[in-house]
Amino acid sequence: MSNTTVSVPQASRLRLKIGPRQLLTAVFAAVGAGAVFLLFNAIIGGQCDSQCVIGTLNQSVRYAAPIALAAYCGLMCERAAVINIGIEGMMLMGSMVGYGVNVYAFTWMKQNGMDAATAGDISRALALGLAVVSSGLLALLHAVVSIRFKADQIISGTVINILAVGLTGYFYRQYLAQNIPPGPGTFPPFDIPLLGQIPLLGAIMFQGQKPIVYFMLVATLLIHYVLFYTPWGLRTRAVGENPRAADTLGVNVYRVRYINVLIGGLLAGFGGAWFTLEAVDVFNPQMTNGLGFIGLAAMIFGNWTPFGALAGALIFGLGNTINTTVSIFRPDIPSQIPQMLPYILTILVLTGFVGRAIPPAADGQPYEKQ
Amino acid sequence: MRTKIFVCVALLVVVALALGACAAPTAAPAAKKKVGLVTDVGGVNDKSFNQSAWEGTQKAAKEFGFDTKFIESKQPTDYEKNIDQFATEKYDVIITVGFLMGDATAAKAKQYPNIKFAIIDNAYFPTKGVAYCDDTKKDCYVDGGLTNVTSLMFQEDQVGFLAGVLAGGMTKTGTVCTVSGMEIPPVVRFVVGFQNGAKWIKSDAKALNVYIPSFTDPAKGKETGQSMISQGCDVVFGVGGNTGNGGLLAAKEKGLMAIGVDVDQYLTYPEVKDALISSAAKNVDIAVYNYLKSVSDGSSKAGVFTANLQNGGVGLAPFHDWDSKIPQAVKDKIKAASDGLKSGSIQTGYKP
Repeated sequence: MSNTTVSVPQASRLRLKIGPRQLLTAVFAAVGAGAVFLLFNAIIGGQCDSQCVIGTLNQSVRYAAPIALAAYCGLMCERAAVINIGIEGMMLMGSMVGYGVNVYAFTWMKQNGMDAATAGDISRALALGLAVVSSGLLALLHAVVSIRFKADQIISGTVINILAVGLTGYFYRQYLAQNIPPGPGTFPPFDIPLLGQIPLLGAIMFQGQKPIVYFMLVATLLIHYVLFYTPWGLRTRAVGENPRAADTLGVNVYRVRYINVLIGGLLAGFGGAWFTLEAVDVFNPQMTNGLGFIGLAAMIFGNWTPFGALAGALIFGLGNTINTTVSIFRPDIPSQIPQMLPYILTILVLTGFVGRAIPPAADGQPYEKQ
Repeated sequence: MRTKIFVCVALLVVVALALGACAAPTAAPAAKKKVGLVTDVGGVNDKSFNQSAWEGTQKAAKEFGFDTKFIESKQPTDYEKNIDQFATEKYDVIITVGFLMGDATAAKAKQYPNIKFAIIDNAYFPTKGVAYCDDTKKDCYVDGGLTNVTSLMFQEDQVGFLAGVLAGGMTKTGTVCTVSGMEIPPVVRFVVGFQNGAKWIKSDAKALNVYIPSFTDPAKGKETGQSMISQGCDVVFGVGGNTGNGGLLAAKEKGLMAIGVDVDQYLTYPEVKDALISSAAKNVDIAVYNYLKSVSDGSSKAGVFTANLQNGGVGLAPFHDWDSKIPQAVKDKIKAASDGLKSGSIQTGYKP
C-alpha cells in the first residue's frame, strides 16, 4: 500500500468530520444489513409481516444500546491513546451495582413510608447514577495504572475484567443471590413525542424504548460534536495521534487522558446499567456475556468514529435479533446456524466492507514527559 | 509473682496445644466422608437445577453426616480443574451437575478410580471408539469402563409433556412457546415433550421454540420471549437456567402465563410468581439425596438411574395462586395424560 493511501484517512480524521469514506462505509453497511435481512426474510418464507419486521428492528436498536455504549467507552479512551479492554468488567460492575442499589434503595424507602411508585422512580434513578459512578471508579483505576504508572494497558484492562468478575461474584453471593426483597422493576418504556411520529424510523427507534437507549442515541450526537467540533475534541485527537506535539503546544496530555478515560468509564456504566435496569431486573454473574468486547469490535468497525460505532452496534444488534426471528419461523433449520449469524455478520462486515481500520497513531503508548 | 503467672499461663497453653494435638488424630478415623459438588456455569444460586442439586447434597449431609463443599464452574474449561481440586483434597464422592460435564467426568473418573462419581443429566452409552470407553466393551458401566460413575437421569420429556398439556389447555391464542437454553438432550427432552403435550390436548396448537446457546443470558432470554409473544404466544415455558428465567420475566411483564422449570420456581423465583401457572419440576434434590443415601449405607452402584413419573422423580409443581383459575377440565386432562404416560399408552414423542 502506498504512502498516500494511508495518510489520507488519517488526515481526513483530523480535518473532515464525515468524509466520503465514512459515508461509503455507512451506505455499504446499510445495504449489506438490508440485503441480509431480506435474504433471511425470504428463507423464513414471508411469514414475518411488516409489524414483525418493525418489531425485529425495534428490538435490534434496543440490543445495540449496550454494545454502542461499550464502543463509545472504547472510543473515548482510544482517541486519547489509552486502550481499554476492561469495558466488559466496567459494564459488569455497573450492572451489579445498578441491580443492588435498585432493589435495596427501593425496599428501604418503602419501609420508611414512601409510596411504591415514587420510591421506584427515585431508586431507579439512584441506581443508574451509582452504576455509572462504580464503573467510572474502575475506569479511574485503569487510568491511574496506565497513565500514572505507565503499566501495560492490555494487562491493566485484563486485571479490571478479572477484578470485576470477582467483586460482582462476591457481592452477588453475599447479598444478591437469595432472599432478596422484590425490586421496583426496570425503567418503563416511553415514546419520544415528535420523533416517534416519523414514519418507519420513529417506530423503530423512538417508540417503546427505555431511557438508556435514548441516552445512547443522544450520546452518539454528543460525542461526535465534542470530538470533532470543540477545542477539547481537537486536544483529545491530538493527544491520541501525537502526544509530543500536543504537549509542545501546551496541552496537558495526562489531564486529557484521565478525563477521557473517566468519561469512557461513565459511558460503560450506562451500558452496564442497561442489563439490570432496562433489560431484566435480575443480576447473575457474568451476565454481560462479552458484549463489552463486541463493543470494541463495533468501535474498530466504525473506524473510531461514533456514527461508525453506532452502525457496527446496530448491525450486531440486528444479527442478534434476526437469529431469534429465524429460529421462531424455521424450527427445521438447525439452531446452531441462526446462532452463528451475528458472528458471521461481524466477520463479513469487518473484512468485506471496512477494509483496513486505522487506530489513533499513539494508541496504547504511555506518554513520557521529557 | 508476675513471672509465675506467666509461666502458669504458658504451661496451660502448652498443655492445651498438646491436648489439641492428641485430640486431632483420635478424631481422624471417625472423619466424615467428604462430598464435593461441581456446578455448571449457572452457579449454585441459579434458582434452578444447580441449586436443587446443592440442596439435595446439604440435606443428605445433615442426615448422614457428610462434609460437603461446592465449586462453581465459571466456564467449561473449569470442569476438569474443579474435579481435580476435590480429588487432590481427597474427597470420597464428587457430584457433577449437568450434561455438559459428561466428558470431563468420564475422563476424571478413569483417572481417579477410587473416588465415587455421580453425574446429573448424562448417561454413558456404548459408542465404539469413544476415549473413555474401551471400544471392545458394550457398555461404559461394566468392568473396564466407568465402574465408579452413577448417572442420575430424568425423563424430562414426561414432565414437559404435562406442562404442554397445561399450556395447551390454558392458552387463549392457541400459541405456546419455549425459551430454551443450549440444545442439549435434557433441554430437548423438555421442549419436545412440551410441544407434543400441547398438541395432544389441542391438536391445532402452535408451538414456537428458540434455542439460545447460553444458560446465563436472561437479557437475551427476555428479548426472545418478547419476540415470541408478539407472534401470539401467551404461555411461555422457560427451559434454560437464567436464560429461561428471562423468558418468564417477559411473560410476567405482559401479564401472560409462564411455566417454570427444574424446580418449583414459584418458591425460588418469586419475582415472576404472578405469571407462574406451574413448573415442570425434576427432583434433582431427591435424586442426589437418594444417591448419597446409598453411598452412606454402601449400596451405591455404577450405572444409570432414571427418575420418571412412575417413581415420582419428575412431576408438575403445584399451581399455587393459579389453582382456582385453572379449569377442572384441564386438570382432568393433566391427570389423564399423567396416567397415560405412566402406563405407556401415551408417548411423549421424544426419540433419543
